[in-house]
Amino acid sequence: MIIISPYTKKLNNGKENPKNYPYWEQLISLIDEPVVQIGLTGEKQLVTDFRENLSINELKELLKECRTWIGCDSFFQHLAWVEKKPGIVLWSISDPKIFGHPENINLLKDRAYLAPNQFLWWEAYEYNPERSVLPEEVIKHL
Amino acid sequence: MPNVLCSVATRGRYHTTLPLTLNAIINQTHKVDKLIIFDDNDEPQDMRNELVYSYFFQMLTIKGIQWEWLYAAKKGQHYSHQMANTMEYEWVWRVDDDAIPEPNVLQNLLKYTGPRIGAVGGSVLTPPSIETNNSTGLIDNIDSEPNIQWGIIKEPKYVQHLHCTFIYRAGVHDYNLGLSRVAHREETLFTYGLYQKGYGVVVVPDAVTWHLKNPQGGIRSETSQQLYENDERIFQNFMKFKDNTIVVLNCGLGDHIVFSQVLPKLKNPVVFTCYPEVIPGRAIAEAQDLFGNLDQWNIYKKMDEWVWIDSLESAFEAMYL
Repeated sequence: MIIISPYTKKLNNGKENPKNYPYWEQLISLIDEPVVQIGLTGEKQLVTDFRENLSINELKELLKECRTWIGCDSFFQHLAWVEKKPGIVLWSISDPKIFGHPENINLLKDRAYLAPNQFLWWEAYEYNPERSVLPEEVIKHL
Repeated sequence: MPNVLCSVATRGRYHTTLPLTLNAIINQTHKVDKLIIFDDNDEPQDMRNELVYSYFFQMLTIKGIQWEWLYAAKKGQHYSHQMANTMEYEWVWRVDDDAIPEPNVLQNLLKYTGPRIGAVGGSVLTPPSIETNNSTGLIDNIDSEPNIQWGIIKEPKYVQHLHCTFIYRAGVHDYNLGLSRVAHREETLFTYGLYQKGYGVVVVPDAVTWHLKNPQGGIRSETSQQLYENDERIFQNFMKFKDNTIVVLNCGLGDHIVFSQVLPKLKNPVVFTCYPEVIPGRAIAEAQDLFGNLDQWNIYKKMDEWVWIDSLESAFEAMYL
């Protein structure tokens, strides 16, 4: 079983978070094993098994059951790192050298897409699908 | 020699002690690299039109000293000092606008600026001079002994806090911006913070500044007892936790999870947290009330200031270890 953590938290301005991955549907269609989506109520459901609003302890238990996981730059990659469960992180404008963990597979299309200032609000940047790696690239690492 | 910014915050003293202060800075035997004057007056003036000041500005230029006159935020001198603290100089020499350093003060303070030194101060004398031979300079004795800088300092001595005017290592510790415009205890909190971060705080001989305490201007422009009481309360709160590592996690869930790997390395931590299910602790609102301002624990602000390129975990370690 694979966990997907598709979305990072919503921006205060209501716009799409530029750290989100744009090709989840295509990526999921390429995965040949059960997929469990985690997230919050109101987020787009991508698979049948969508577990909403799990507590930290419930997420830790779920991590023990999965083979691996795929997510964007959100709290979940940190939780999995603490739980010593490596996975794949799909990066766009935040810097994996700062916010990532070398134990994971960190897929960044190009450092040229990184936000010039990593420490201000993400609201300052527009969502741009061009910044993310394609699903075919992700699947090679799964 | 290290590069030195001289920072003067002024209010209400255009035509009393400030000219004496500036003249003393201009005539130091060791020139500062830059002089910045933070004008915190309620009704600031263009001092280039004043004869004596216009000469001062010309003297600075002739001596090759950069200078800047900056109209400040009218929030108190601690805001000005914090700006100076983050202007990317190695050392800042802060001089009050009623303090008149003798010509050799900066030269002699700089002699003691080693790699683990955070701040160096000399005597700060207000006539008539008093005897401070028995003063320890320890924070626990701050209310029971005369400040060691109020007397003639005969030999170098490690202390825990400084007063009024001194040279300090910039960018290591923040001024507390939660204090009122009076900024009562601001330099004590600041220098004690340097000490708590493991830097030496020293008083040294042969560096005499005459403090011509002026009953008008400066912090004495404010007469509200409430402001002093607010600042004293914040100071006392810091003292209550002085044997703890104060941790304020006013940040995101992921940041808390990363910090959980740093927490076991801290000495006697007391934690204020947004996510007690990840890091147990007290509420952020309580920290705000106790300490007045939480910027010094803002990990993103710090990473921005530090132009950070290492991991988030390392940034937390840099902040707390």
